[in-house]
Amino acid sequence: MPVWDVSTAKHLLSRCLFGYSRKDLDKALSYKTLSDFIDKELLSSRPVPPPPGDWVTETPTNNSLEGDRYRAMTYWWYDLMLSEGTNMREKMTLFWHNHFVSGRDKVSYPQHMYIQNNLFRRSAWGNFRQLAKDVSIDPAMLIYLDGRLSSGSTPNENYAREVMELFTLGVGNYTENDIKQAALAFTGWQVSGLNATFTQSRFSNTNKTIFGKTGNYKYNDVVDLILEKPEAAEFVCRKLYKEFVFYKPNEVFIKQMADVFRKNNYEIRPVLSFLLTSDEFYSPQYRGAKIKNPMEVTVGTLKAFDLTSEQVNTTSDWPYIFTQTQALQQQLFYPPDVQGWLGQREWISSTTFVTRGSLSDYIVNTMGNTKATQFKLISNPVSFARTFKSAEDATKLVDDIVNLFLQFPISTAKKQSLLATLLGSTILANWSTSTPGAENQIKALLRAVMRLPEFQFA
Amino acid sequence: MGGTSVKAFAHNPFALDMADTNGKILVLVQLAGGNDGLNTVIPYENPLYYNKRANIAIKKEDALVLNSQMGLNPGMAAFKELYDKGKLTVVQNVGYANPNRSHFRSTDIWLTGSDAADVWDEGWVGRYLTKLYPGFPLQIPQDPMAIQLGSVESLLIQTDLGSTGVVFSNPTNFYNLVTGTTIDNEPVPDTLAGEELRFMRQIATQSVAYSGIIKQKWDKSAKNLYTYPTTSLASQLKIVGELIGGGLQTPVYLTTIGGFDTHANQVVANATNTGTHATLLRTVADAVTAFQKDLEKRGLADKVVVMTFSEFGRRVSQNGTMGTDHGSAAPLFVIGSGVRGGILGRNPVLSDLDGNGDIKFEYDFRQVYSSILQDHLGVESSTIQSIMGGKTFSTLPIFRQSTSAYIATSQEFTFEQSGANPFTTYTTIVYSLKKSMYVRISLFDMMGREVGTIKEGTMPAGVYSEVIEGSYWMPGPYFCAMKCDAGQKVIRISKA
Repeated sequence: MPVWDVSTAKHLLSRCLFGYSRKDLDKALSYKTLSDFIDKELLSSRPVPPPPGDWVTETPTNNSLEGDRYRAMTYWWYDLMLSEGTNMREKMTLFWHNHFVSGRDKVSYPQHMYIQNNLFRRSAWGNFRQLAKDVSIDPAMLIYLDGRLSSGSTPNENYAREVMELFTLGVGNYTENDIKQAALAFTGWQVSGLNATFTQSRFSNTNKTIFGKTGNYKYNDVVDLILEKPEAAEFVCRKLYKEFVFYKPNEVFIKQMADVFRKNNYEIRPVLSFLLTSDEFYSPQYRGAKIKNPMEVTVGTLKAFDLTSEQVNTTSDWPYIFTQTQALQQQLFYPPDVQGWLGQREWISSTTFVTRGSLSDYIVNTMGNTKATQFKLISNPVSFARTFKSAEDATKLVDDIVNLFLQFPISTAKKQSLLATLLGSTILANWSTSTPGAENQIKALLRAVMRLPEFQFA
Repeated sequence: MGGTSVKAFAHNPFALDMADTNGKILVLVQLAGGNDGLNTVIPYENPLYYNKRANIAIKKEDALVLNSQMGLNPGMAAFKELYDKGKLTVVQNVGYANPNRSHFRSTDIWLTGSDAADVWDEGWVGRYLTKLYPGFPLQIPQDPMAIQLGSVESLLIQTDLGSTGVVFSNPTNFYNLVTGTTIDNEPVPDTLAGEELRFMRQIATQSVAYSGIIKQKWDKSAKNLYTYPTTSLASQLKIVGELIGGGLQTPVYLTTIGGFDTHANQVVANATNTGTHATLLRTVADAVTAFQKDLEKRGLADKVVVMTFSEFGRRVSQNGTMGTDHGSAAPLFVIGSGVRGGILGRNPVLSDLDGNGDIKFEYDFRQVYSSILQDHLGVESSTIQSIMGGKTFSTLPIFRQSTSAYIATSQEFTFEQSGANPFTTYTTIVYSLKKSMYVRISLFDMMGREVGTIKEGTMPAGVYSEVIEGSYWMPGPYFCAMKCDAGQKVIRISKA
């Protein structure tokens, strides 16, 4: 098992959280071992958070409040991410949102997406078999992939196809006929108000042949049949690996993960523990190799500046983050299609790359700026610099700031260049955070660090 | 940071001029989600079509008649107009062997040009561009090699050497965002992480190198020569038109419209000429037609061709939810002043479907790519073969100046009508010559009086088309005769 030190902890936190503050890092290192931290903190259970509003239990009616409520729920999730501490439940909630995809382009009522989101939160590291069954009759999913419209006499293949292709098996592990037959087994379910309801007369009450086996299968039987195939465990583990380790999977290691997954009857927690304590996870090859998703970029930046949930202004700060993450192509509750966000290089195009740069510039520029309309409670640059013990030693301050913001090693030349940016017209010996103009020099350094492509990596 | 800021990047020192291109431009319109081909080009005389699609078929009287068997979806009036003018070619039943019905797999197949069984990680346009600019990425041309309107970069323009394109939605916003970005040529660590860093730096370099020239050409381009619709696709094409008008030499553009995954309620019950799918098709037809008219006003229409594509068509039989599930082959459209017009291919054979109830493909999608590369972009056949992974695909006579071995018969020449018949304003005739010869095509009234000459002269071997404008003709039948060194043929055309 890897040694539990600063470098290990930074890597683990940067992958399992939406960024981290120095306090989070200290807290993690206060645990004696890696396993201790994972068991007692990272994967510890927490109460379900209060909902984004009383409306979550309202029977859906067309009252044109959906847009505002989707917004409120999005901000609510941002807040849960920002206040996640050192627990990866929100990261896993987003993982399942991006795995069992539904989105507001078809799910008009945020109530349904709220129910689904909480299912993912409750099942963050629960049992995958149960989760897949629950998702199959989840109201938002019945709407998103047309299950509610499908009946024995009028089957629609949409859910049956995607559950095999994208949620459990992957292309090549089923036939077109398996899809057609499974579509029949999934019939009978509709959405009534906030609930999924079963109507026997809409169910295809006949024998179906799926993967060569025949029976009068229902939705939960299809999930069981799927999970009998070894490809299923590998498929889900590959997805976890791509999210938390590297987007090009190591198939030998995936097989080991899948073995753990199957031996534990598809319990997710043991396979996460196995992954996060493996030498593979901490291999130097992968350190700093993950391109941050837009939520990691935005929430992570706020965390690095020690901004807390209480200091965020819901009516001005979250709308800014909403607009920016939308421009960076990640709008929560609205994945681009049923495949979800692909991640890694897909996040980066000529436009999104430079948008990331303008975003970090913007946040830094609010520091100490009384006229700024966002992030009014973010530290002023001098106070922020002084939270580092090294504040008055320019060389060490650059090192510390680089260490906080980057998971990637940078060259001596680049550090020298950053130092020159911090010093501006001052010489090293004269550096002090009390020098007139230090405020702008510190901001220049922060902007430069966050403009480095290296900043985009976790 | 020792890098170069965008403001200092007035001229790219590595820039090559664009002399390597023939000045022609390809604009791709991706219909994401799987466009229902059977409700796009309607086989309105086929009872099987109405039998298998009892609730969602487009009625015969609603179809915009292309010929005696095929009509366009009623949402596509703008395309019907282009078709009548010979500026739109329909290619029927385009697909590939062993079709994959996953959106994502099939999209990748279309974008890379691979066989169904192969997984390639380079886009076909990316491979074309790296052949066109062999110095890439060490040397990059002065104008972007490809531009994608949008935010998430498509596999289409990705290569093992890096991205060959820039991606943005608005030239000014893009330029402003790039300010402050730096170029960094330091070596990367020799790890997997280092490879990812290299990728990101290359994107940064492209942004810095190109945001200036894109804005410069865009700024100087005349705006609003033609009024586009206000849809997203039309806005994308409007910017493409303005960039081309401003003199940007970029040879390939990609635009996208989504929403074609019509599993449910693709038409309105009992009013199948309306609904989601008709609206989508109207959006496409109106946007592309506006783009064509814009280019005509700019005098640049000869340079540009538009091709639509989608990852697959949809199941022949409707599903139970007023929609269609994933299918296979489908028609696509090629639009431009240089196309031959008319229809290539037959109506889908609905009595002979594959085991899954889907249409069998007639043309491989790479035949269309190869035709565009050869006859529009002027790429040599050996290069096309290399772009297509060593395979050769016979080309199709999509373009007027086609060198395709079309109508590979033993005949010395062919002569057919391909446009609307009867027609109201325009129709199109197509002819092919096996070898160079003298040709004269004339028009006669029913009394046998010659009323006009359409073409006269010695023509090289090839396939040609001519548009006949007949808006002022008296309604009724006419004869069109082709005389050439190899013989003659007369066809009868009707003005409605």
